[in-house]
Amino acid sequence: MPDAPPRAAPPGAASETPPLPQRLFDNVFLLLALGLVVMLVVYTGWGMWEILTMPAGTLP
Amino acid sequence: MSAAAFPHRVCPATGLKVSTKAESLIKVNAVVAVVSLLVGAIAALLLVLTRWQAVHLLPAVWYYRILGVHGMNMLIFFIIYFEMAVLWFASTVLLNSRPATPRLGWFSFFLMIAGSALVEWAQWSGRADVLFTSYPPLKAHPLFYLGIILFAVGALTVVGIFFATLVIAKREKTYEGSMPLVVYGAATAAIIAVITLLHGALIYIPTFLWSLGLIKTVDPEVYRLFWWALGHSSQQINVAAMVSVWYLLSALTIGGVVLNEKVSRSAFVLYVLFISMASAHHLLVDPGFSSAWKIVNTSYFMYMAVLASMIHGFTVPAGMELGMRLRGYTDGLFGWLRRAPWGDPGFSAMVFSIVVFGFVGGITGVTLGTEQINIIAHNTLRIPGHFHATVVSGTAMAFMGVTYYVLPLIFQRKVAFWKLAKIQPYLFALGMLLLSMGMTFAGSFGVPRRHWDISFSQAPFDVPFNPAVDLVLAVMGIGGILAVTGALSFIAIAVKSVFFGEPVGTWQTGTDVVGIPQGLTRPPVHAANVDELNEKLHDPARGIAAATPGTLVLVGVFLVAFIVYYFTNWKLLSFLWRVG
Repeated sequence: MPDAPPRAAPPGAASETPPLPQRLFDNVFLLLALGLVVMLVVYTGWGMWEILTMPAGTLP
Repeated sequence: MSAAAFPHRVCPATGLKVSTKAESLIKVNAVVAVVSLLVGAIAALLLVLTRWQAVHLLPAVWYYRILGVHGMNMLIFFIIYFEMAVLWFASTVLLNSRPATPRLGWFSFFLMIAGSALVEWAQWSGRADVLFTSYPPLKAHPLFYLGIILFAVGALTVVGIFFATLVIAKREKTYEGSMPLVVYGAATAAIIAVITLLHGALIYIPTFLWSLGLIKTVDPEVYRLFWWALGHSSQQINVAAMVSVWYLLSALTIGGVVLNEKVSRSAFVLYVLFISMASAHHLLVDPGFSSAWKIVNTSYFMYMAVLASMIHGFTVPAGMELGMRLRGYTDGLFGWLRRAPWGDPGFSAMVFSIVVFGFVGGITGVTLGTEQINIIAHNTLRIPGHFHATVVSGTAMAFMGVTYYVLPLIFQRKVAFWKLAKIQPYLFALGMLLLSMGMTFAGSFGVPRRHWDISFSQAPFDVPFNPAVDLVLAVMGIGGILAVTGALSFIAIAVKSVFFGEPVGTWQTGTDVVGIPQGLTRPPVHAANVDELNEKLHDPARGIAAATPGTLVLVGVFLVAFIVYYFTNWKLLSFLWRVG
């Protein structure tokens, strides 16, 4: 099948740098890292710390 | 390989490039998803006819066995295979890109197939009667755990290929500016999938070694902490994928617009940061964790992820309303909704998905996740009542809706049994609504979940339930039968269309064609005077009603329902737990 007309941006079209928040939001690897850190600290790490510091139960 | 040189076809309806290599992977994942749905739906029918106490079909052993089969096929296999198809579609078709390493994609697919086959074998043969959660000290055959690990590794590899394809598309400039919102939502789902599958690996590998006798024990509390980061977060992958499908179907079916890219993307980022920690909902009555840990985590870090869902719950219908008004449907508050294509199964499925997910699943989820209220709901039928409204009425319904567009666009086949397809979303939504409400009310009367016989026959004690329980369990049973009928109808439509369907061929725009949804035969386009309409809709004189007054009213109804349900539950708690 012949190629469709390319829809890519013409060279130099994106010369204007997007604002910082947009660049941060567009960086999926940064979001991946942040998502992992928040979960591993708030849920997993804190949860494990609570389990490991739980006092041993004693029979009455 | 350059952006334009990869093997592909051009979709005649959308003009998008469809990579032939990615297309094959989309198809096989979608087909296996439907097969898993079939197994899960048959299991669902057996279960609902057992929990309906008046019928009580299965013996105890088979009830628990089939419950495990149902959980794995519906919550893991159906959903994740379909999400794999969504990831292939979003990263290649929507970005006009070639896929990264399609060969590795096929290897991952077969790894997932091998894993799911092992799990099915272990469950059906009675070697894994440990339910979906497989809590230690319950122990299954090692191949059950190995199967899950293989499946997870395969899925994680596909997620990696998805990210690699995003890099390729950006480098080869196959799109301009930021990636489209639907792809952004799919990327959100992929990020949550990494968080989820990582936790799954961290707990299933030691559990596998324990089942082989290589390590002595797996701590039950540690297992629950990690397992729920898989078990619940996997359903958050669904939420992100489902919301992406809402945006896609809204645009395809009625020309819905994105109200504000920044707001919608911010909501997806809130999902990335905060939605996974809701896994703690399942640990609210566990003695090993402090109230501080429970409250911080079950609040989705003080409700930031709930805010995200409420943002999407507003922006999607408001985008639909604005899109319809820009097409000229400007009558009154709800003229846009009345004139919508209710006979298009893609549209009706999307609307039911949004409504039931928000009104039933969302409201019950936040309420049940409140630490104090959870004590009157934990391990009752209210919990499955909640997640059948989110995962099934929400996610599965949305996936069914988008399938009606995938069949002509990707499989290039007309939708078979077209009349049935038009009513299928209504049947499924009604059935699931009755099932969810029946479960929720039965649970409110204290009926436990995962329980074979609530009459406790032959037990030395008696547990009387309110007589109304018989009625609500009957509602649940009838709803379940309707829903399974709807699911089996969907499967029949999909199988007939894919394997024996009529090719779509070409059609004339503006003419209805049997088997092709209206969004394709009559693509939604703005009115000729769209600029004038837009200016009028955004006239400051319209005040708070602004451009989407109908959606504002619907959101108001939602908030009132939320407040009433939430505080009713505090009242119910006060009956049980008197203070002072």
